[in-house]
Amino acid sequence: MNEAMNRAAARRCAVHQQRPAFAVCMQCAKTLCQECATQWDGIWYCAACLSTRRAAPAAKSRVGGWIAVIAASLLILFLSTRFMVWTGVLLAGLR
Amino acid sequence: MIRAPLSTTSVLDESAAVVRATVSPWAALLLATSIPYRFMQIVFADRLLELGSSASQYGNLLRTTADITCAAFLLSLIGRAVYARACRLASQSGAAPGPEALRVPLTALAGYVFVASIAEAVTYLLFITGLGIAVGAILSGMAIGTMELNTEPGIRGPLRRLARYGGNSRIVVALALVFFCAFVVALLNVATLVSVIFSLASTVGGWDAARWHMLLSIHNRRYVLMIIAGALLVIEPFWIAANVLLVRKAGAAETGDDLRVWFEELQRS
Repeated sequence: MNEAMNRAAARRCAVHQQRPAFAVCMQCAKTLCQECATQWDGIWYCAACLSTRRAAPAAKSRVGGWIAVIAASLLILFLSTRFMVWTGVLLAGLR
Repeated sequence: MIRAPLSTTSVLDESAAVVRATVSPWAALLLATSIPYRFMQIVFADRLLELGSSASQYGNLLRTTADITCAAFLLSLIGRAVYARACRLASQSGAAPGPEALRVPLTALAGYVFVASIAEAVTYLLFITGLGIAVGAILSGMAIGTMELNTEPGIRGPLRRLARYGGNSRIVVALALVFFCAFVVALLNVATLVSVIFSLASTVGGWDAARWHMLLSIHNRRYVLMIIAGALLVIEPFWIAANVLLVRKAGAAETGDDLRVWFEELQRS
C-alpha cells in the first residue's frame, strides 16, 4: 500500500515537471497538475484534448449549417419559380 | 467615410459618393450579371401577355422560362454580392476598391442567396396583392446590406440579422419610397434617351425611321417592358449602395463607431 502511494506521489505533471500529478487526461493519458487539468462532463482532460473536443461539435454544426442553407435555398428557389408561373397564369387569366 | 448620423438623407448622400467610387468596373460587372435576369423577366412577362387567358395551357413553356429566369437570378446575385462588397470597401477606404472586391466569402454569399431567394418568393407570392414588389424590394435590399455580416453558414443567422437591421423601419420605408420615385424618373430618362438616340440615328441615310418609330412607341409592349428593365438596371447600383450604407451606419451607431469617428474628426479640426 505504502509502495503504491509513493509511486503515485512520484508522478509529475507532463507540462510542469516540478509539480506533482493531480489527474490523468482521459484522452491522451498524460499526467496533469491542478492547473493543467480541466474537468468537462465529470472527466479530466488536458488543454489540447479539451480544445479538440470543443472544436468537434463546432465543425459538425458548420457542416449542418452548410447543408441547411443550401437545401433551404434550393427549395425556396424551386418554390419561387412555381409561384412565378402560378401568379403569372392567374394574372394572365384575369385580363 | 461614415460622415453623419443614421438618417435617410445621410444614407442617400453617402451612397452617391460610394457609387461614384465603384462605377468602374464594379457597377459595370453588376450590370453585366443583371442583364440576363432582367431580359428573362421581360421574356416571361411578354409570353404571359401574349398567351393571355390561354396561359394555363402552356405550363411547360412557362415553367421552362421561369427555370431559366431562376438560373439568371442566381448569376445576378453573384454580381450583386461583388458590388455590395465593393461598396463596403469603398465606404471604408473612401477610394475605388481593387480586385479584393471579388473575394466574397462563401458563407456570406450562401446566406445572401438564401435570404434573396425568400425575397424573390415573397415578391411572386404577394404580386397579385400589389404589395409584392415593395415587400420584395425591401427584403432583397436588407439581404444585400447584411450579406457580409454572415460569417457562419446557417439559416437562422441571416434571418436574425434581417430582423435586427429591419428594425430601422422608418428609414427602410423612406428609402423604398425615394427609390420608387427614382425608378419613375429613371423610366422617363431611359425612354427619352432611347428616343433621342433614334432621332439622331434617323438623320443617317438608309435608316427606316417609320419602322423604328412604330417599334419604339408605348403601344409596343416589348418596348415598354424593355424601358422598365432599363430603369431597374439604372437604379440598382444606387439601391445596393444605399442598403450597404444603411446597415453599416446602423451598425456604427450601435457600437459607437460613429461617435469615435466624429471625435477623431473633432480632434483633427
